[in-house]
Amino acid sequence: MKKIIFILLILLNAGLFSCKTEKITVPSEPLKNVNGSWKIIAATRNGEDLTTRFDFSQFRLNLSDSTYTIDSLVPFIVNKSGKWHFDDPVYPFSIYFKQMDSTTKISPILYPVVNGQRNIIMTLSPGCSLITYQYSLQKAN
Amino acid sequence: MSSSKNKNKYRYIWKIFAALLVLVIVSCSITIDSIDQPASVNGGQILPVTLNVTLNTNSGQTNRFMVAVLVPTAWKVSSNSVVSFTSDITSGPQSMSVIPAGTAAPQGNGLDWPTLLATKIGNGGNLLSGWEWVAFYSNASYTVGSNATIHITVNIQIKVSNDNLLFKLGYVVGNDSNGLSDAQYYNAFFSGNCFSVIGTGDLIDFCNPQISTVEPRTSLENDIVTISYDGGVTSTILDNASQIYLCATGILSDGSSITVCAPNGQTVMSSLGLKRWRKDIWPRKYFGLTDAQHLTSFQYFFTDVTGTLKVGYGGGSSAFNYTFKCQ
Repeated sequence: MKKIIFILLILLNAGLFSCKTEKITVPSEPLKNVNGSWKIIAATRNGEDLTTRFDFSQFRLNLSDSTYTIDSLVPFIVNKSGKWHFDDPVYPFSIYFKQMDSTTKISPILYPVVNGQRNIIMTLSPGCSLITYQYSLQKAN
Repeated sequence: MSSSKNKNKYRYIWKIFAALLVLVIVSCSITIDSIDQPASVNGGQILPVTLNVTLNTNSGQTNRFMVAVLVPTAWKVSSNSVVSFTSDITSGPQSMSVIPAGTAAPQGNGLDWPTLLATKIGNGGNLLSGWEWVAFYSNASYTVGSNATIHITVNIQIKVSNDNLLFKLGYVVGNDSNGLSDAQYYNAFFSGNCFSVIGTGDLIDFCNPQISTVEPRTSLENDIVTISYDGGVTSTILDNASQIYLCATGILSDGSSITVCAPNGQTVMSSLGLKRWRKDIWPRKYFGLTDAQHLTSFQYFFTDVTGTLKVGYGGGSSAFNYTFKCQ
């Protein structure tokens, strides 16, 4: 009986001292890195799908840390290169474009992951304000 | 003897029932008996409309009166109209106000009045987009007795836009309790004729099938516009063309013009079948504009592959015209 109690006490102490203290750290939301060349994969005009009816295939929005350029322009919020930034680099809801010698233009954005790929969905009115285009962009390979 | 007495009794009961049935059918309804509406007005002027309505009740109730109008969106009726009514049971003109946007219609499954009316009543046969239902409630609620017949005269004053257009107007009356839940609670009236605004600019014809339309109906040079050709509307010299091409001339703000007319891959239309064709263009790129150039309008025809057979407005030789502007 005494042997059993002794063994149990050893096992208990072993269990107590084998525990490691785990430090819990709060994960931080990373900055959104969108540097690269983005292409339009879907486009609507007031909800009407124009993706296959108009040639968006050559359009590229090239984003670097703070500047952007545009290749093969389509109706867009700006038409020349300039500077850009998010409203919030961690939780972006809008993207700001300021082309040379012009006012800043703002587009609300969504930033979903679709089929494992990051998308940027922009909403803009390059012509009449009642005509709204929604462009879904993905990084071009 | 008792058998004949019973027969008489049943006949008497059936007669009562039939009379009550007729009373119910006759007594619960709202009807637009007639409308007074001019055939046309000049652009920017007031369109006066009178609706003569009869309300028959079979039970007492307290409601707000509802009137809705089917109009071109260009008129911005929510801001440019005054609606009122007089009736047997009220004294003097009674004001009505636009139902605020997003207000759910009664028994409409959450839909607002404009959406419910568009879904259930339709668009009156107007063939272009750019129409809307605008609904008004009386500012006050009114109590009506049971088995009452009430005559209502609705006065509608709409300041139309300056657009040159043809449109099929429509009207609906109802109340704020029953919505469009049953035919006895509302009535729709379409004038049938095409109302005309003698205005300025390109004619916007909602009434007649068009050989060609441009969507959006209002846009700027930096929008993507869709140009359609419907060869099924009327016979033209392009009836046998296997391929249709767009021949367009952009008119610039300085008065000069740029023509894109050669039948080729850039101008070819896409076939939708049934003699319908479509092309989406971005005018700034289509006409090869520099940064300094701006379009005010463009004129266009449809041609065959040779470019010699041209179809314009009404199937004739005058060009279609589209002016860039926003609503």
